[in-house]
Amino acid sequence: MPPRIPHAEPGTPDLRGPLWYLWWLVRCQPWRVLRGSLIGTAWMTGLSVRPYLISRAVDDGLRTGDTRALALWVAAIVVAGMGLSYLGTMRHRTMTFIREDAKARSAAVVLRQLSRVGAVLPRRAATGEVATVGGTDIDRAAHALTLTGPGVGAVVAYLVIAVVLWSISPLLALCVVVGVPSVGLVVAPLLRRLEQAESVYRQQQGELTARSGDIVAGLRVLAGVGGRGLFARRYAARSRDLLVEGYRVGAANSWIDAATVAVPGLFLAAVVWLSARMAVTGDISVGELVAVYGYVATLVVPVWFLLEGGHQLIRGRVAARRIVALLAVTPDDVGGPRTTPARLGAATVPGTRQPPGPAAPGAAPLGPAAPGAAPFNSASPVAAPLGPADLHDPSSGLTVRAGRLTVVAAAEPADAVALADRLGRYTVSDATWGGVPLADVGLDEVRARVLVADHDAYLFAGTLREVLRGARADVDHRRVDAALHAASAEDVVDALPDGLDTPLDTRARSLSGGQRQRVRLARALLAEPEVLILVEPTSAVDAHTEARIAERLRRARAGRTTVVLTTSPLLLGRADVVAHLAAGRVVATGAHAELLDRDPGYRRLVARGDADAEQALR
Amino acid sequence: MSGLPVADRATVRRATRGLIARDRRAVVVVLALHAAATVAGLAPPWLLGTIVDRVSAGAGVATVDRLALAIGGAVLVQTLLSRYAQYAGHRFGERAVARLREEFVERTLNLPVGVVERAGSGDLATRSSVDVATVGLTVRDVVPIIVIASVQLVLLFGAVFLLHPLLGLVALAGLPTIALVTRWYLRRAGPAYLAEGAVAAELTETLTSTAEGARTVEALRLADERIGHGTARIARVWAARRKTLALRTVFFSVVEASHPLPVAALLLVGGLLLARDEVTLGAVVAAALYLQQAIDPLDRMLMWTEQAQRGFASFARVLGVGQVPPEPPGRAAAPTDERLVVRGARFAYAGGADVLHGVDLDVRPGERLALVGPSGAGKSTLARLLAGIDVPREGVVSVGGCPVTDLDPAERRRRIALVTQEHHVFIGSLRDNLAFAAPDASDDRMHDALATVGADWHARLPEGLDTLLGDGAHQLGAAEAQQLALARLVLADPHTLILDEATAALDPTTARRTERALAALLTGRTVIAIAHRLNTAHDADRVAVLEGGRITELGSHDDLLRAGGPYAALWRSWHP
Repeated sequence: MPPRIPHAEPGTPDLRGPLWYLWWLVRCQPWRVLRGSLIGTAWMTGLSVRPYLISRAVDDGLRTGDTRALALWVAAIVVAGMGLSYLGTMRHRTMTFIREDAKARSAAVVLRQLSRVGAVLPRRAATGEVATVGGTDIDRAAHALTLTGPGVGAVVAYLVIAVVLWSISPLLALCVVVGVPSVGLVVAPLLRRLEQAESVYRQQQGELTARSGDIVAGLRVLAGVGGRGLFARRYAARSRDLLVEGYRVGAANSWIDAATVAVPGLFLAAVVWLSARMAVTGDISVGELVAVYGYVATLVVPVWFLLEGGHQLIRGRVAARRIVALLAVTPDDVGGPRTTPARLGAATVPGTRQPPGPAAPGAAPLGPAAPGAAPFNSASPVAAPLGPADLHDPSSGLTVRAGRLTVVAAAEPADAVALADRLGRYTVSDATWGGVPLADVGLDEVRARVLVADHDAYLFAGTLREVLRGARADVDHRRVDAALHAASAEDVVDALPDGLDTPLDTRARSLSGGQRQRVRLARALLAEPEVLILVEPTSAVDAHTEARIAERLRRARAGRTTVVLTTSPLLLGRADVVAHLAAGRVVATGAHAELLDRDPGYRRLVARGDADAEQALR
Repeated sequence: MSGLPVADRATVRRATRGLIARDRRAVVVVLALHAAATVAGLAPPWLLGTIVDRVSAGAGVATVDRLALAIGGAVLVQTLLSRYAQYAGHRFGERAVARLREEFVERTLNLPVGVVERAGSGDLATRSSVDVATVGLTVRDVVPIIVIASVQLVLLFGAVFLLHPLLGLVALAGLPTIALVTRWYLRRAGPAYLAEGAVAAELTETLTSTAEGARTVEALRLADERIGHGTARIARVWAARRKTLALRTVFFSVVEASHPLPVAALLLVGGLLLARDEVTLGAVVAAALYLQQAIDPLDRMLMWTEQAQRGFASFARVLGVGQVPPEPPGRAAAPTDERLVVRGARFAYAGGADVLHGVDLDVRPGERLALVGPSGAGKSTLARLLAGIDVPREGVVSVGGCPVTDLDPAERRRRIALVTQEHHVFIGSLRDNLAFAAPDASDDRMHDALATVGADWHARLPEGLDTLLGDGAHQLGAAEAQQLALARLVLADPHTLILDEATAALDPTTARRTERALAALLTGRTVIAIAHRLNTAHDADRVAVLEGGRITELGSHDDLLRAGGPYAALWRSWHP
């Protein structure tokens, strides 16, 4: 009964709380969980069958010298052993299926959440948190489900053994029924102590590992400047500290470990003593004496399972809390309707458009709403311009003419970034598009038609071809080649062993800064948006390449609206319109040469690189 | 890309024996204590057997009391012995692990930087984190478990032998099947679990990078593509987990099914021997209980063997780092002056075509030389040759008449420094981050160095030079980190600086601030700058244009403009 993974439809998780979330993971697979409980119970009770059979073989076969009875009971031991082996294997398989179903389901809903929540995510959840959820929490939450199988089995097995003992001697049964849980209660806190002591050590160990990773990451710096000996000595000193801590942990742990053996051992001795006295007085038989010893020794298994299960539930709950927190992050509305529902739950099938949902409460625009803006909970976004239209940003006074190449030289790079965010509606924006307030157009439509290509846009792992194509898997190779040409990135492809089919790792770390930037540019061009806003697209490439890009970019975007934010004279020289942005406002527009002539501030800005370079080389 | 070496089996075995030999006394003590503890652990079943015999023979309550008390005593003795055995084993493990990790870091620090770059730092990073940790876990936890289990098994089976040799013989009935299936399992388990770990890490990486790139996902509408990508990873994790589950299914069921065989055989043979009065009933009962008792250590040993195998593989990778020949110490050459000269230098990266085709270049002491040219022309390669990081395949790079690679690496770094866009803030205090460049520098010199590069932020740090930097402590921005890197250079005080895209990875605002800091550092030194912005070239004493691995133009900015070559054309496109 293996689950079907990946789930075509992981379902909508219950986000009322961590335990609700775990319960949702159970509810998604009720029959498998039931099966797990049944098999777990059968296996756990089966564990006590062998001591019983051995005791019967001793009593009926060995003691009486009855060979037939002995052979019968021995055959039963073998058959029971095979059965137990089957049950044990099935238990492990079923529980693995349950855990894997839960893991895959959690991963699927987290994946959908991370993919759909969008630009707000980095502000709401640290990347480290996502790494913890993905690396640890999903597994831990799934492991809590182990309680549904052997956990249930442990309780049943415990009761069964109690009943069997009762049939031998009520007094013994009472001792065991009360004694075993109290042994568990004594041992449980010891286990917690053990884990606490370990966790301090582990943390220090993690820090030490981080240090050696740090040394590996900085090896090139050390090679450039020197100082290796110092680092070796410092690491060794830390390592010695950890060694001492390790001794301390070892001392504590070995006592705790010893206690977890001694307490059940002494209890077992007491039970043996009691039952041996009963055997002397004839209250129980010798075989029963052996059986009691076996039962009590067997009881250790369910008790351990329960302790372990409780522990897993505690850890699973903590893990589920973090998962729920991540899943509860909602995209904040930067003023205006989205055409996707506010809670981007997993219920959305990829590719389907959901009817517009009400915006989340408290999502009212913070800035001055443009006149005539639709009411906030309005279900229908205002119609966007049908075709290419001018963009206007009142905050800066910039007008972007449709179909033209506008290059904006901003005195302060922060102003350029803010401008791009307003034009792309990544922030509260009073920009208009063909006269329509951008904030009232459905966000989906803005994203589909206006692309802000950040200077540090993320590069995901995949082959170079996949990286370039992005969402457009259907794009043909001629367009890919054209985009590469326009971004002057053909040499990036040529330098890779398998060309476009070379896999790149996350952030394309194997490429140089300039190569990465050209890949980003090619990707943005290949997306062929109606409006393309490029932020500092050539800051890391050499002058030769930049000159080529300036020339080709113009041709590649001919007739389409393009905004470039840069102070590079090569790009400014190719613009249809240049705008000079100072203190957040457009202070001059015109051709590059014209502005160089009549706007001294502009001249200084464009030549400012000179000033620093002069300083640098003088 | 050639990876780092992995040690062969013989080397790993030698190293393992070395670990034991260096701490032989501790190992002997640990084994002896564990053996004693196990012997004490054998007493309760034997005492139970005795009780069975005595009760069957009609013994009184007093005998039972004495024997039951003895059981309690045996438990206490076993507890004490195993506690000290465990503690001694733990200390041994800790010492061995500490030595291993210190040696690993020592070896890592001695790796020639060229080797690390060719192998990719990812491999080394994995070895320093995953492999060192795996070896640590194996030495500290897994090996003791296996040692204890082996001692227990030997003694338990030995005890059955002592009760009766024939019983001992039949007790081994389950072992052949277990040995066979373990062999079968171990051959497949290692690679299968490694594959499982790798695909699980890929899934985590997909989730993390989707979160990191959330804005890009929204901008380029990559949500469906990301979901598709992640779903494919989920499918791969599941496929890998099913494989390991299939292995466990076979392994567990055969092992578990083997457990009742020896008990059954023992009871049958016991019955025969009992009929002939060769053993007592108590002996058979004790032997049966010993076998029950042996199941636990046997399972434990089997479960951890796979981990031990993985530890062995990791150990081979950890030791492999030590097999890279360290950087040659150099021939104590003494340069007569600071003049850098390149003659007929050709260079190719491993297995590739030549990147540089016979470069000749004289760098005059104290001059500013700008290196310009299109991407892939070989600018960075030339910079690395000048810094002595790589050796030319043909030709020579010398400083003051000595080949740069003949200098002692430490000496070379004191003379010529390569500044790249890579900067790294080490975990530790600000002082730690500066001190390694000049170990004897006073606090005042450090303050001065920071002030020189414009790192005025250091004055605002809560604990000054003792402020902890890095992950989880005070985080430096990109520009601050780059300033820190430059302050190190001020302290190291090299006579020649090679700048390779030192500010290219920074955003333009940051780049400007950093360039100002750079200016302070450059005063009074020979500077070779790989220039992206032609402004830089304009202000240099000389400009070298590198195209297709050759220097095609060399001269001052004005000379090159007059010459009307490619440089002039480029310059005019900048300044219409």
